[in-house]
Amino acid sequence: MANQIGYYSLILGLALSFILSAVSIKDFYNNNQGINQKVLSLSFLQFFFVIISFLSLILSFVNSDFSNETVFNNSHTTKPLFYKISGTWGNHEGSLLLWLLVLTLFIFLFLIKSNEQPKKYRILTLLFQQVIIIGFFLFLLKTSNPFNYLFPIPKEGLGLNPILQDPALAIHPPILYLGYVGSSIIFSASLSAVTQNYVSKEWAQHIKKWILISWIFLTLGIMLGSIWAYYELGWGGFWFWDPVENVSLMPWLTLTALLHCVLVLERRVALTSWIIILSIATFILSMCGTFLVRSGILNSVHTFANDPERGIFILIFLFVLIFLSLGIFFLFHKENNKNLDKIFWLSKEASILINNWFLMYFLSVVLIGTTYPIFLDVISAQKISVGPPFYHKLIVPFLIPFLVFMSLGPKLNWIKSKVENKFSLIIFFIISIFLSFFILRKLTPGVLFNTVLISPAFYLFFITAKDLFIKKFKNLPQSIAHFSFSMLLLSILFNSILSLEIITNIKVGEKYNFDKGQIFFQKLEKNKNSNYNSVIGHFKINNNKGKIIYLKPELRIYNQPVTITSEADIKTTLLADTFLVMNLVKGKEYFNIRYQVKPFMIWIWISVLLLSLGGLMSLLKKKYEK
Amino acid sequence: MKIIKLFLIIFILINFSQSKSDVKSEELKNKILKNIRCLICQGQSVYDSESDFALSIKLIVEKKINDGLSEKQIYEFLREKYGEWILYDPELSKNTYILWLLPLLLFLFGGAIVYMNLIIKKK
Repeated sequence: MANQIGYYSLILGLALSFILSAVSIKDFYNNNQGINQKVLSLSFLQFFFVIISFLSLILSFVNSDFSNETVFNNSHTTKPLFYKISGTWGNHEGSLLLWLLVLTLFIFLFLIKSNEQPKKYRILTLLFQQVIIIGFFLFLLKTSNPFNYLFPIPKEGLGLNPILQDPALAIHPPILYLGYVGSSIIFSASLSAVTQNYVSKEWAQHIKKWILISWIFLTLGIMLGSIWAYYELGWGGFWFWDPVENVSLMPWLTLTALLHCVLVLERRVALTSWIIILSIATFILSMCGTFLVRSGILNSVHTFANDPERGIFILIFLFVLIFLSLGIFFLFHKENNKNLDKIFWLSKEASILINNWFLMYFLSVVLIGTTYPIFLDVISAQKISVGPPFYHKLIVPFLIPFLVFMSLGPKLNWIKSKVENKFSLIIFFIISIFLSFFILRKLTPGVLFNTVLISPAFYLFFITAKDLFIKKFKNLPQSIAHFSFSMLLLSILFNSILSLEIITNIKVGEKYNFDKGQIFFQKLEKNKNSNYNSVIGHFKINNNKGKIIYLKPELRIYNQPVTITSEADIKTTLLADTFLVMNLVKGKEYFNIRYQVKPFMIWIWISVLLLSLGGLMSLLKKKYEK
Repeated sequence: MKIIKLFLIIFILINFSQSKSDVKSEELKNKILKNIRCLICQGQSVYDSESDFALSIKLIVEKKINDGLSEKQIYEFLREKYGEWILYDPELSKNTYILWLLPLLLFLFGGAIVYMNLIIKKK
């Protein structure tokens, strides 16, 4: 039953797209004030049908209705209810349905929240959004119908990949998608604004809200994925420069650049072409994210769908969108007067340009690093890998000037300014260098490089901290965001420099001594759960300062599908995480363990949360700084 | 600016005396293992994997280090045996000129655009 309801709701939703487009085109040429009420109702109706469809898929998952192919492929009766529900979007079909749900939700919200905007601009935004929505409807119905019927009805499902059965990963896709799909509104709205010649200060204030919403969710979504990778993938890292991670980072970079540019547009009409290009790029990159992950082109830990037909569909769809948007941009966009567009070098605008320059460079590194191996493989059948060393070499040195500019930029005024307080800026710089040097001197061998790297991070930290506490909250969201970004970098840098790691093989009852303490493998305990059996290791870790930590990493043997996973045990304190994971070594009685002390781990998450909080505050702020 | 330059020079001098401490072979091994891909895994380095393939590569790398091969020679050896695919840090070669240089060229290009859009005048 739920199957049919879900499927026909989708068809109705698609039909509504066409009706809605027709009605709104008619309304476009109508001279009435404001949008016809019908358009709003139809848009709501479309959202309503998609949510019905989505709910019926959830219902099928909850009831373990294996006549539904998607449920059969991705669920199992013994799975806990929570993961049955999150399994709805833990697979290809369901996650696309979620995309569609958010697409229709956002355009409806856009319509009711944009009352003060010109009518034609709103209608055109709706129409562009409908192009995307129709594309997704067709994609779902043609290549990835979530409601395929199976007969005879199987008794049991195939189960959800156990590493995806995790609370962080259960909410990671919806949050990330809110970010991705939020960029669709920015895309449609900017195309519409171009055609209406409405790229103005008013537009900037209005679109900034959507940029912030998208940015906040994208930031949180990336963080959740990273947290998941940290404790679930079992080797203690949190960012692997894996293609799927890169793909989520790319729209974040363009969106961050866009956010800063819109701040300029709020005050003076400049950078208009660039803003439109960034809006288009952000959405196209979000789509590429979906394309690269779903098509199976990427070889990655996260890819869970491999189907070339889908890839080709998304590729064609992507090209249509790119040509459409670029066509509109070149046809309609009117260049500003060149002289008005110029920016005085010592001004906040100039620093935002420089910010964009670096962000685009980081984007190009990530983009080229991710896609180049694919192109090389296609063109010359040579396979190369591009891993963390590549990204570190090309990104890390550029962080140094980037951070310095980030510290100084917000100090400047709009339009034109003079350098004031030169003295304190220089003093802070010298303090930062000294501080980094003295902290690092005893800790690592590579003092010079690390000092050069960490000093600008400290510099940003001090300057933003001073703004936060002394300047009486002049521009609080910005201060918080920049402050937390410096915190993020400092935590990441110290984390990577100071991490301790020990890998060894150990039997039950054995002790392993290392220069800073001792690991004692006390005993093994066996446990039974509804969907897995587990073996729990009891470890006692003494460090030289007499502190004792007990850690219990787990090996889980999931029944459906049969998979062995290692669950790390992590003790978190404000100063450091202690991380222990054990692995089975085939045919041996010992276990391979990996013990890590990772300093400031929790501060990485805290600073990202704080970063999003900065965004949220900016979203809620009514007035902006003149 | 002069002050900063001076400090930098001092740092460089201090550092030359410190950084010459020899790198232990264990650290070298870990560094190498992190830079090679586990061919049978999904997006894992040999260092992070406990698969049979990774275990055997770990033994090979350890043996090569004991034989006195340098980091570069070991990468070379692995590349000849398993192909470029195994190295996470692709070397600059005719296959990878674009990969390494394009971002840097774009950076210069972007810098030029930014420069052209700025008004730089002396008062």
